[in-house]
Amino acid sequence: MKLSYKWLSEYVDLAGITPQELADKMTTAGLEVEGIEPMAEGTNLVIGEVLECIDHPDSDHLHVTQTKIGPNAEDVVQIVCGAPNCRAGLKVVVAKNGAELPGGKILAKPVRGQESNGMICSLAELGVDKKWLSEKQLAGIEELAEDAPVGESDVLGYLGLDDTILDVSLTPNRADCSAMWNMAKEVGAILNREVHWPDYEGKANVGEKTNFKVSLATPNCSAFYGKVVNHVKVGPSPKWMANYLHASGINSINNVVDISNFVMLETGQPLHYYDYAKLPHHEITVVDDREMKMVALDGEEFQIEKGDLLITTNQEATGIAGIMGGEESMIDENTQGIFIEAAKFDAVAVRKTSLRLNLLTEAAQRFTKGVEPLAMQKAMDRSVQLLTEYADASGFEETIIEGDASYTPVVVKETLSHCNELLGTQFTMEQVQQVLTNLDFKPEVNGDEITCHIPSYRTDIARNADIDEEIIRLIGFDELDSTLPLMSATVGQLSPIQTLRRTTKEVLTGFGLHEIVTYTLVGEDYIKDAYQPSGEAIALAMPMSEARKYVRTSLMNSVLECVQYNEAHQNTDNHFFELSSVYAKDIEDPRLALVLDGKLISDPLHKEEEPGDYYALKGIVSAYLNKLGYGNNRIQFKENETDVEHFHPYRSAEVWCDKTLLGVIGNLHPTYAKKFDLKDVVYGELRLLPLMEGKTSKTRYSAIERYPSVSRDIAFVVEKNVKAKEILDAVRKAGKKILRSSEIFDVYEGEHVKEGYKSIALRLIYQASDHTLKEEEITEAHQAVLEQLQKQIHAELRA
Amino acid sequence: MRSCLTGTFLFERGKRMDKIQQVQEEALQAINGASNLQDLEQLRITYLGKKGSVQALMQEMKSLPKEEKPAFGQKVNVLKQLVTDAFDQKQVELSSGAIHAQLEAEKIDITLSGRKKEIGTIHPLYLVQQELEDLFLGMGYKIAEGPEVELDYYNFELANIPHDHPARDMQDTFYIDPNTLLRTHTTAMQMRELEKAKGQLPIKLICPGKVYRRDDDDATHSHQFMQCEGLVVGEKITLADLKGTLTYMANAMFGEGRTVRFRPSYFPFTEPSVEVDVSCPFCNGKGCSVCKGSGWIEILGAGMVHPHVLEMNGFDPEKCSGFAFGVGLERVAMLKYGIDDIRNFYTNDMRFLKMFNRFD
Repeated sequence: MKLSYKWLSEYVDLAGITPQELADKMTTAGLEVEGIEPMAEGTNLVIGEVLECIDHPDSDHLHVTQTKIGPNAEDVVQIVCGAPNCRAGLKVVVAKNGAELPGGKILAKPVRGQESNGMICSLAELGVDKKWLSEKQLAGIEELAEDAPVGESDVLGYLGLDDTILDVSLTPNRADCSAMWNMAKEVGAILNREVHWPDYEGKANVGEKTNFKVSLATPNCSAFYGKVVNHVKVGPSPKWMANYLHASGINSINNVVDISNFVMLETGQPLHYYDYAKLPHHEITVVDDREMKMVALDGEEFQIEKGDLLITTNQEATGIAGIMGGEESMIDENTQGIFIEAAKFDAVAVRKTSLRLNLLTEAAQRFTKGVEPLAMQKAMDRSVQLLTEYADASGFEETIIEGDASYTPVVVKETLSHCNELLGTQFTMEQVQQVLTNLDFKPEVNGDEITCHIPSYRTDIARNADIDEEIIRLIGFDELDSTLPLMSATVGQLSPIQTLRRTTKEVLTGFGLHEIVTYTLVGEDYIKDAYQPSGEAIALAMPMSEARKYVRTSLMNSVLECVQYNEAHQNTDNHFFELSSVYAKDIEDPRLALVLDGKLISDPLHKEEEPGDYYALKGIVSAYLNKLGYGNNRIQFKENETDVEHFHPYRSAEVWCDKTLLGVIGNLHPTYAKKFDLKDVVYGELRLLPLMEGKTSKTRYSAIERYPSVSRDIAFVVEKNVKAKEILDAVRKAGKKILRSSEIFDVYEGEHVKEGYKSIALRLIYQASDHTLKEEEITEAHQAVLEQLQKQIHAELRA
Repeated sequence: MRSCLTGTFLFERGKRMDKIQQVQEEALQAINGASNLQDLEQLRITYLGKKGSVQALMQEMKSLPKEEKPAFGQKVNVLKQLVTDAFDQKQVELSSGAIHAQLEAEKIDITLSGRKKEIGTIHPLYLVQQELEDLFLGMGYKIAEGPEVELDYYNFELANIPHDHPARDMQDTFYIDPNTLLRTHTTAMQMRELEKAKGQLPIKLICPGKVYRRDDDDATHSHQFMQCEGLVVGEKITLADLKGTLTYMANAMFGEGRTVRFRPSYFPFTEPSVEVDVSCPFCNGKGCSVCKGSGWIEILGAGMVHPHVLEMNGFDPEKCSGFAFGVGLERVAMLKYGIDDIRNFYTNDMRFLKMFNRFD
């Protein structure tokens, strides 16, 4: 909110406190001041009179003036002025030599050869916000009244611009401070100074019997204060009121409308004044069951729906309740009498309507944030007072009160000991009592106990913790000690999934993969084309865009989009992983995505290269699963029968752990990869829940072998389509107890190997735990392997 | 005759002794003159071998008169020792020269690059998260988990933000249906944990995670971001305990010497509520561009758990109290590493990711 320093000082004595000091103190107490702006600025200003104004000899638009800036004959200076409205006889604002204006310093210097001692100013040049200025004011210098006192140096004071505006950001619980009176109380409590509200109470208790009828046809208008004022005199507002409205960001219109706004700013109660002549039926009904079009005060037409609160008279809509009045009953210069409305409209109903119609008016915002229970009464009293004083109001009728306007004062108890216990402080009863008194909580102390009588506008204070907050924020947090909680010991340790994630990051970064974080929300295309979706996708009720409409059911598209971005930005060798849950209705599915794009190692200097291919990813996944406690004997890479749309059908595999499918890894299908302008990318996506739930092997010691091992190599040719797994299965089947391991160390196709066949080199390791192997033992075991290979896979041994 | 015999004898003896002397001189000279290991080996055979000169002298001893043997033998032994020592010495000398030559031949350019090794990186947001996790694990906190697709009940209702609460304006929500949403803050996890505890004390946890709000993405806003909140509930937990805990955290995250400052604020689930400023780690509170001259950086929201929140979750606010705090991981990472655009975290440009290759 915009807070006028000058206006505030009418309620609280701000002597000795600069706007900056006030702002600092308010911020410290929880009312954050985000900016401090003077209404206008300028030093060395004076009111002057243009005595003579002739055209500049060397310019088609400049004037050379003789301007009087003081009472004496010698107080006349020559000033060159470019404003089109500059003329002899005009009273003007003069910035003298050396004046500091928002645009810079004014110095005496010739303008196109003519001496110029200062500047005749427009209000914009004094830093006045252009939105307050008319076109005429914007086009030229400010024209002061004929009786403006020449030589007066308090120009800003004369103009009513000697004010500073604090931009205060209010937290939602302190909407009460958007009312000037309540803000004054708050500032008084912060500064420990007395606060004086105007003497308004009971001013509305005047008037004759009324025949005006108010009906509430909806519970969303729970109370309504109405009053007929038969005579008002519409005219300009007093200058101070217009200035305060300006300072608060509201345009001055006429005295009657201004009073309604001014009282709203004072009390927080949005008011509506109707032209009484436009309510000939002397009746108003609040309804919320209409569907229609209506034209509001700003001349715009709005579509009204059921649930929108409307003010009707004789069945005709005359205002969108709590948001904006109708054009029909608007106050204008011909208005003779008015009807005052101060009502309580439901915050949610007003909020919904104002959001839908995009009418975030001052009134709507106040209703939305909540208006204090006694504001209607206060606003009615103050309206009557100000209308009488500044709009010659008379012919009042009695106040109509419809609905439930009752109010039960709030009483909250707290003890000093509980307060100190919660805060960890040692405040004394005197300190606490002082704060609560300053806040007008009227504390009653009884031993350790304090009973607070909460003012009606402090709707945020309901229980003891609220009192404690007031105490600490006003005494200040500087006094607070720094301690650590004293409590029974607790164990800090990672949960299984947290440990799993840490291991994952450790292993994968070790292999040169970089962790990424991509967006959870994706578009329909990603959902439709999802790899192994977690289930039926969750859609947002009101997405911000089509591209962020669904909660993703798989990581694949998001991760590949990231690779695509990097490729498009000349980044090569993009190896990533992402750990993230994907979702579906009632399902949370934590996953790991891995992608290799380019080479893992590319080192021409040392002639080393490690391609990021299927085998690289398979190696990484195997090592990773081993690290998690799943040995190679529990992991299987099977033919991909799961997803050959996203994956290359012959260069991808299902990854199984025990009897659970974890996911698919492999080269992308070229057709799918093309969607992301990618090729030769290897991807894998694994579900983590089975890995968390699976039984991992225990770390165990076994004695280090004491007897030497012997290795034997076999070279043979088999049909090309015989898989490595079949070869190794055959070896294992034949292998005696002394066969410790078998490994394919070379595969070759081409020259010297017949068409349709491949050459395989196999290394077998033999070892016994209890003796050194004898030649015969090895030969026997090895022979069995050779025979099995010939029998089972038709291996042709090579010399 | 005797004398003559003696004379002859003496003459013979002198000749033999000369021979020893001669072998010695010759051998030592040859050995010392050897220029390579092969020549040296040849000399070893010549002098010390089975058929070598020294051995030949030994043979000669057999034919000597008994009384001459000891003296002669001693001389030959001395000779053998001298030659052997000379040989050993020369051998060491020549071998070291050979190794030296070999080593020199094996010289490489040690300034060429090493074989390329690539180590991946942890995403900067998770670097920050893990640092926080480790910090609080060390203080006995556990790390809670919770769903991102969350019930309105945990995200709002239990957090003291009933349906028409104005605070719902503060954080515009991605609703899925009237009861389900993408969590807008990690507070939802706190509420789950409070409910799960069924009134059992103490509770000591942090809950990091992704959260979502209806914000247009720009340099300082993201519809998806990360938070980490902390919650402690026990007997006589105080606001001063919160300050101490956050001071400890600020020092761990931004370096020793940090102080924290509380300013009053508002959150529906805490009372009192505070904004927490940390003394600027870049200028040590003197004022710089990062802290916009104030010397302080606003970094956390915190407060004492609202008594109504405790009640709703089955705790008696007269018997226990608690504090809660929350920090935005992007905010911390941006401050810590000087990142100027929040979108960087979600674009995942390789050049960006590689800048964060360690915990710092």
